[in-house]
Amino acid sequence: MSYEELSHTADVKIRARAPTREGLFEEAFRALMQVMYGEDRIGNVTRTIDLCADDPQSLLCDFLSEVLYVSEVDELVFRDARVRLDGTRLHAVLEGEPFDRARHAMGTEVKGISYSGMSIVQDAKGYMLDILFDV
Amino acid sequence: MYDGEKMPDGMIRVGTDEWEIPVGYVPGMRVPGRFFLSETLAGLLEPGALQQLANVATLPGIVRYSLGMPDLHWGYGFPIGGVGAFSLDEGVISPGGVGFDINCGVRLFTTPLVRADIKKPRELIESLYRAVPTGVGAKSTAKIPKEALLSMMVKGARWAVEMGYGTTRDLTRCEEGGAMKDADIRAVSEKARARGIPQGGTLGSGNHFLELQEVSEIYDAKAAAAFGVKMGQVCCMIHCGSRGLGHQVCTDHLKVLETATKRYNIALPDRQLACAPAGSPEGQAYYGAMAAAANYAWANRQMILHAARKEFVRMFGMDYESMPLVYDVAHNVAKIEEHTVEGRRARLLVHRKGATRSFGPGAPDLPGDLAAIGQPVIIPGSMGTSSYVLAGTATAMERTFGSTCHGSGRIMSRSQAKKKLTGKEVADALLARGIIVRAPNEAAIADEAPDVYKPSSEVVQVVHDAGLSSLVARLTPLGVIKG
Repeated sequence: MSYEELSHTADVKIRARAPTREGLFEEAFRALMQVMYGEDRIGNVTRTIDLCADDPQSLLCDFLSEVLYVSEVDELVFRDARVRLDGTRLHAVLEGEPFDRARHAMGTEVKGISYSGMSIVQDAKGYMLDILFDV
Repeated sequence: MYDGEKMPDGMIRVGTDEWEIPVGYVPGMRVPGRFFLSETLAGLLEPGALQQLANVATLPGIVRYSLGMPDLHWGYGFPIGGVGAFSLDEGVISPGGVGFDINCGVRLFTTPLVRADIKKPRELIESLYRAVPTGVGAKSTAKIPKEALLSMMVKGARWAVEMGYGTTRDLTRCEEGGAMKDADIRAVSEKARARGIPQGGTLGSGNHFLELQEVSEIYDAKAAAAFGVKMGQVCCMIHCGSRGLGHQVCTDHLKVLETATKRYNIALPDRQLACAPAGSPEGQAYYGAMAAAANYAWANRQMILHAARKEFVRMFGMDYESMPLVYDVAHNVAKIEEHTVEGRRARLLVHRKGATRSFGPGAPDLPGDLAAIGQPVIIPGSMGTSSYVLAGTATAMERTFGSTCHGSGRIMSRSQAKKKLTGKEVADALLARGIIVRAPNEAAIADEAPDVYKPSSEVVQVVHDAGLSSLVARLTPLGVIKG
């Protein structure tokens, strides 16, 4: 499992790879947290997210949008997520900690998760995602 | 970054710096695309931006052209620097034509100071940095009650002035008087409200900034005098938007409009262009919520203006009233405006995504004393480069639905920027030129280094030469707070 930042002039474009769809969602989640808060993140607080959507792209977009909301309103920085997918339903447990300005003001706010250029493809090695974060 | 050397194939030159994307460039285009770009900037144009400009031309009810300003670049949905006007009867409204940061915009105020009056520039920058909550996770110092948030979304900058954050004159120097009348707070979710409450008066991050500047050149003495801009004067520019509240409004309504797109059988080349007929319940709900978020943004910029003015009063002992607002412009918004199309007046829904209104002499919504001049157009440069004040023009009214560029336009990604120089190297290089940079972290500085943008001087020269706005004054940076 891995992710990398691709070249995009205005925003942050991420390419993630994982053997499973769940793993792909978790990688996208880690990339989002990395962009916003940097690397120094621990997990002693948990939050859960449950949602459903019509298709995999919407499910991923809704999941990451919900993470943005929870992180901002509850002032939490997440280290990791465990994602379970069942058709069009998602259940995720997020592990994180309270926002600490001294350690977490290292990144840039993500304003939204865009559908432009989003793709999820499956090949012999698993899944690959391209996704754009508006910063 | 696209490193070609000439205009991409297939573009038709229709003027010195004006180009057409013909119908057929992407399937389903209803009108051609038109964009303004000089030969020197053509090599920086990304094919992705042209594709997005052409995509906008496929939307129902688009009037005349899908338009691109010279800071045109690759975004999501509409390109950045994109303008699209739609018929209210047959056209659509799309959050993809506004963006997540609803009413991201810029305001400029002047001070009675000149550069030599600022004996301790570092101290001034540090005190402004402390006064304006900045960066990821920054919280408002104002305690905004839940009921006050509703007033903020309805009254915009007027709410802030009523709360003591500024003067009533400030309101006459904001586009729309600092509040769109069509705000519908019922269409703003609880989630959006929860995000709005702790963030009033915060700058945010990314390309948002507060910059101390000096007026270093006057091109049009009459317009400069009308705008209250004088040679050598120190002024302050604020760039930010509607914060988490606006981002959530966009996210929420994008979801609703995606469903609506299917219901109304609208074929789209990009999901981010999700839209609904302007008069449909879904379209109206988005418009009302977007207006509420735009109003929040005007209140937000008004609060930041107030915080900055208070620091000048504290450090220099001058009158609060001696720091008038030159103007406040929105550059991510959709508005109903009246324009002339083929000789007839028509009410249109004009989307500006990274584009500035450029209303010329005699246009509606201008304060009386600027009616003969046109509205002030404020174009920020990238960090370390000049910003400009221009005036709106009759040509913009005729050709671009009263629109012009909004900035320089990025040409290099954030990952490339970080590989090229560290934040410290960028800050040191700027300091060597007398520009102090303050940011929550070094990466934020590298992300916004001057080299990652098109030269602001070339971009404004194109809009000036094309007549979309006319040069009034140049502002050079003295110090900047980066979000």
